[in-house]
Amino acid sequence: MAKTFLYNNHIKLGAKMVDFAGWEMPVQYTSIIEEHNNVRNNAGLFDVSHMGEIFITGKDSLNFLQTLVPQDVAKLIDKKALYCQFTNEKGGIVDDLLIYKLKENYYLLIVNASRLEADYSWLIKNKSNYDATIDNKSDIYSMVALQGPKASDILNEIGIKKENQPKTFHIDEYKLLNEDVFISRTGYTGEDGFEIIIRNEKVSELWKLILEKGKPYGIMPIGLGARDTLRLEAAMSLYGNELNENTTPVEAGLTWTIDKDKKQDYIGKNIIKNQLQSGTDKKLIAFKMTDKAIARHEYPIYSDNKEIGYVTSGCIAPTIGKNIGLGYINNKNLKINDTIQIMIRNKFYNAQITDKNFIQKHNKGN
Amino acid sequence: MTVKDNILCSKSHEYVYTEGEYCFIGLTDYAIEQLGDIVFVELPETGSAYRKGEIFGTIESVKAASEIYMPVSGEIIEINEQLIEHPELLNEKEFDEMWLIKIKADAYEEDSADLLNYDTYKEEVE
Repeated sequence: MAKTFLYNNHIKLGAKMVDFAGWEMPVQYTSIIEEHNNVRNNAGLFDVSHMGEIFITGKDSLNFLQTLVPQDVAKLIDKKALYCQFTNEKGGIVDDLLIYKLKENYYLLIVNASRLEADYSWLIKNKSNYDATIDNKSDIYSMVALQGPKASDILNEIGIKKENQPKTFHIDEYKLLNEDVFISRTGYTGEDGFEIIIRNEKVSELWKLILEKGKPYGIMPIGLGARDTLRLEAAMSLYGNELNENTTPVEAGLTWTIDKDKKQDYIGKNIIKNQLQSGTDKKLIAFKMTDKAIARHEYPIYSDNKEIGYVTSGCIAPTIGKNIGLGYINNKNLKINDTIQIMIRNKFYNAQITDKNFIQKHNKGN
Repeated sequence: MTVKDNILCSKSHEYVYTEGEYCFIGLTDYAIEQLGDIVFVELPETGSAYRKGEIFGTIESVKAASEIYMPVSGEIIEINEQLIEHPELLNEKEFDEMWLIKIKADAYEEDSADLLNYDTYKEEVE
């Protein structure tokens, strides 16, 4: 199993380690609920070094990227981030990712650890004659996420003054620990926060510095367990749960991310355009359990004694004290506030379809 | 920490000890440590009976649901009601205080023959 350059830091902090996408990662340091609440109330530091960093450069960078995603990459201004999906010929999602435009003909793609190889092959396969260089630098860079209402204060403490910090969904290059680093104001928690990309050799020093300077602000290291409950409360999709190669962005409730009037062709465009017009039978819903039970990945969803879908993610939502979930249903009639049943250990438990605002998010901005 | 001296453990991480004519069944400290934050406990109806090795309940941590197995056969006399509303007590209290069910065993001597004493169990899991 692969280890990040923070492996020894995790062990010293007493983390419980698990296998995640072939990486030995911390699932928790103290308690998932405590870590979760600390990110909502103070701040948390995550090792996300397993994620992939791919750079696209060359004079056809933009045209090449335009062929891969239903979003209009041309609208991306310098130093801004765009949430995208690579789509296949069926409109299915190869991966979801952030594309950062660092400058003209210089893009950074942050992709899921579990999909890095598939993404890299996908890029190579579809590059055709575009004058673009695909540079996978995932082996060179580590990444940490600093998230929570105190994240900006802590970044200020370690030398990136508030007035110089990137704005929401922006990225910039900075000097930290005498290193060139990328800092973006993005994350996967629904809170304000930053992601810092730094060379492997320096990440342990950065990790320790953030934990030390963050101490007066109540920072804690946060494992993948709380990362999952935080993202689910924020109703953010996880590749492998909500997203896969047989699910389109329209079905996955990501229509809001798609540029419906995008002129350029992209892989899967016909299917996606068609779905945007006519809608889909399969759709992602959010729900809250009204009976006392926890829905889990792959539990069947029923309505009127008919199986209509399955749960993709479910957990307790520590912030709201309810059990929540996401799932796919094939039923056009069901709406928000309608009751569905989740089959749990051969018994039916009621749940109510809700909108995707389980919590008030604090990561919205320009 | 001192644990009850007649405690016996199963390889699926349940414990059982006798007190008078009843047995108390719960989860080992190792199991609780591995589960992390316990957020949900489902226990059987009193009066129902389960055989050794049968699933009698479910315990859920933030991450996952796990089944709990009877270490010995018997009839459910009482469940630890406070755990239904406060499953976190399993994390907070000594494991051998927080039993899940109280049963009347059918054949305790026979059923418990393959269970491990606490020290042997701890050596095996750690």
